[in-house]
Amino acid sequence: MAQREFDITIGPDGNVELHVKGFKGRSCLEAMKLFEQLVGELRSQRETSEFYEPEELVRYNIDQRH
Amino acid sequence: MSCVCILAPVVVAAWPAFSAAVVAAATSLGYQVVSEANTSHTTAVRMDSGRVNLDIANSELVTGQLGRDQRISVTRNGVTVTFSREARGKAALCVTGTGQSDEELRRQGEELSGCVVQHYVYQRLMEEMHRKGFTVVEEEADANRAIRIKVRTWD
Repeated sequence: MAQREFDITIGPDGNVELHVKGFKGRSCLEAMKLFEQLVGELRSQRETSEFYEPEELVRYNIDQRH
Repeated sequence: MSCVCILAPVVVAAWPAFSAAVVAAATSLGYQVVSEANTSHTTAVRMDSGRVNLDIANSELVTGQLGRDQRISVTRNGVTVTFSREARGKAALCVTGTGQSDEELRRQGEELSGCVVQHYVYQRLMEEMHRKGFTVVEEEADANRAIRIKVRTWD
């Protein structure tokens, strides 16, 4: 199972800083949408270096024998 | 992979949820609730009192006809803050107090209204995290009154 993590900081004025971890590729941005709907307006957004790491790729080798 | 974003809060709430956030915020800052009413009334203000009117940006208090004049007042050290719903639905607050400058009343009003929004956002996030079955693994308030929450989920 993949672990997803959200680090949420709610400032004393109600502004929220959200760090989304453990999502692959653009699903990270989709996870942010949930919080955007809950909290309010998106003011800024940036991808961390992890965002640009290659996604895990699983390859299956199939030997066909007739 | 990860990403970071900053979100500015929008408060869209029915009066019960908003007043619950007011009570939680006011209590955390040492205020006491002095009145909560759903009838229109004018709060008596001493002639030598300062008075500052503020509102909460990006707020909308959703209410039915019966709850149109709801308000709640809290007090601390001679300063009284009354929250209400203004005619266009925005959350408004009136800060009154004797012996304090308008700047000081404004500062106290902004501190409390910010804290109300913080508690509203906190309640909303926590309800949704629990509804989705996410696990809150850490929660703390730092010296700057920011609330830090770490939430995990697995799939």
